[in-house]
Amino acid sequence: MSLDEVASITSLTLRVGLVATAVILPPCLALGYVLARRSFPGKSAVQAVVALPMVLPPVAVGLGLLLLLGRRGPLGWLWSLSGVEVVFTWWAAAIAAAVVGFPLLTRACEQSFAEIDPRFEEVGRSLGLGRMRTFFRVTLPLARRGVFYGMLLAFTRALGEFGATTLVAGIIPGRTETLALGIYSRVQLGDDSGALVLCAASFAIAFAAMLVAEGWLRRSRTAVE
Amino acid sequence: MSSAGTLIEARLRRPGFALDVEATWDERVAVVFGPSGSGKTTLFRTVLGLLPAARARTRLAGVWLEDPERGLRIPTERRGLGWVPQDPTLFPHLSVEQNVRFGAARAGEDAERARRLAIEVLEIGDLLGRRVDGLSGGERQRVAMARALASGPRALLMDEPLAALDLPLRARVLPYLLRLRDELEIPILYITHDPDEAMLVGEVAVVLDAGRVVATGSPREVLWSRSVLPLSEALGLENVIDARAVEAGDTESTVETAVGLRLVVPAPLKRGESVRLGLRAQDVLLAGERPNRLSARNVFEAAVVDCEKRDGSVFVRLAPLSEGARATPDARLVAKITPAAAAELGLRPGASVYVIVKAQALRRLA
Repeated sequence: MSLDEVASITSLTLRVGLVATAVILPPCLALGYVLARRSFPGKSAVQAVVALPMVLPPVAVGLGLLLLLGRRGPLGWLWSLSGVEVVFTWWAAAIAAAVVGFPLLTRACEQSFAEIDPRFEEVGRSLGLGRMRTFFRVTLPLARRGVFYGMLLAFTRALGEFGATTLVAGIIPGRTETLALGIYSRVQLGDDSGALVLCAASFAIAFAAMLVAEGWLRRSRTAVE
Repeated sequence: MSSAGTLIEARLRRPGFALDVEATWDERVAVVFGPSGSGKTTLFRTVLGLLPAARARTRLAGVWLEDPERGLRIPTERRGLGWVPQDPTLFPHLSVEQNVRFGAARAGEDAERARRLAIEVLEIGDLLGRRVDGLSGGERQRVAMARALASGPRALLMDEPLAALDLPLRARVLPYLLRLRDELEIPILYITHDPDEAMLVGEVAVVLDAGRVVATGSPREVLWSRSVLPLSEALGLENVIDARAVEAGDTESTVETAVGLRLVVPAPLKRGESVRLGLRAQDVLLAGERPNRLSARNVFEAAVVDCEKRDGSVFVRLAPLSEGARATPDARLVAKITPAAAAELGLRPGASVYVIVKAQALRRLA
């Protein structure tokens, strides 16, 4: 197995993880904030729906996505209109990763917002900041550690995503083959050494991510408390 | 009622609590006084516009903030109020300086001047580089006041700024507060459940009890009025006496009230010094004849104004009559005695009695 091959699989995996995390961040922040601060009829139902991808078998999630995004699915017309095919591309892998990461990040945001005394926001508003600016200058900075931790969870979950991804993206070498998929296909083909190399790459990414996260969390802790 | 005045109407129903407040005043510095749970903070939150459920009409020193009849409801962030919450609520992710600068955008061109004034009046120049978590309770309170002040507010709303501090610390922060009051020209609303503070700080007092206004007026008068008496009684402050020292001594001094009543107090005072004294109604003794050879240092004659039976006691309102004393409604004292004692003394309006007050019972408030 060539070094180029490992590098390409690794970079595809990172790209999928980063794009998935970045795409879900704004809606997770917004939804997490609403769930933490507001009470409205049907809130429990919303929370249950949000949690679904976390508790369903990933393969079931993948099948759902396939039906939704496929050419004959409800969203298929959108893709054919723009001439873009999503299914069986790395975008599909990113979407699968985003969907399974969504509940993790939303929950982390909800919990960290709920821990912040609304009084801080009220003082911010009394000092002349609108709701949006208060959110970005008061709420988000105060919740940043929990939000960051949620992003880390979503990102690492994306790195390991397998079940949903195989269904919507397939295992296409050079196009949709992420580290998790690559390890699986190599074991299937009897290429144990190749699988171990990809395992090592996975380990390196996960380890680096945890190192960066721990360092950042420690620094932000000393800066705040 | 002048159009430059303040008007606050606030109505809110919650399970177990109803706020129904209507108050107007023209004075610049108002204290909102009342026991815990009387709705003071809720009232503040409606003035701040933080309670959408409340029906409120608010005009602060001539500026309308909310008037449902005209569909006017200025959002919190555009009310221009400097709020000092009870718990200082400093932003923990910001330094002291960043906290003080937080509302600077609103102050516009005056931001720099407002900030410098805030730092100077509250003497927090040395704290600016510090982190919020390293501050003492008194420092936090001063920074919270500075933050509100530096935002160039059109009015200050202070919610028991001294309540969280212990007594010695209170004495250290109080001068800053009074300086703030005296050096600013903006309206101030000040919440307290402490009558000493209410009288010291306020030009007008709005007294709340169980979500309603029970009295509005000069702090001295309203803390005295019949409707407020049960409240001040709970606080041990039925009688508040303003006086000036006329004779100074090492252990005790003689003071004279505005109506000429002379009292001995157990405190070394400087001649001419002003004091405010608190006296519990239960510490006021009454006698039918002038007593002699008594340990109590203060004995004077008074006329009974009226008697009121309440909770198994009789509250006797008295107008002092001693040498030179001019009887005015303002000069009244309240004594709390048993019904049996009241009957034995034959107390009725107009009757004359002797009032006995131990010097030790006179508590200095300010």
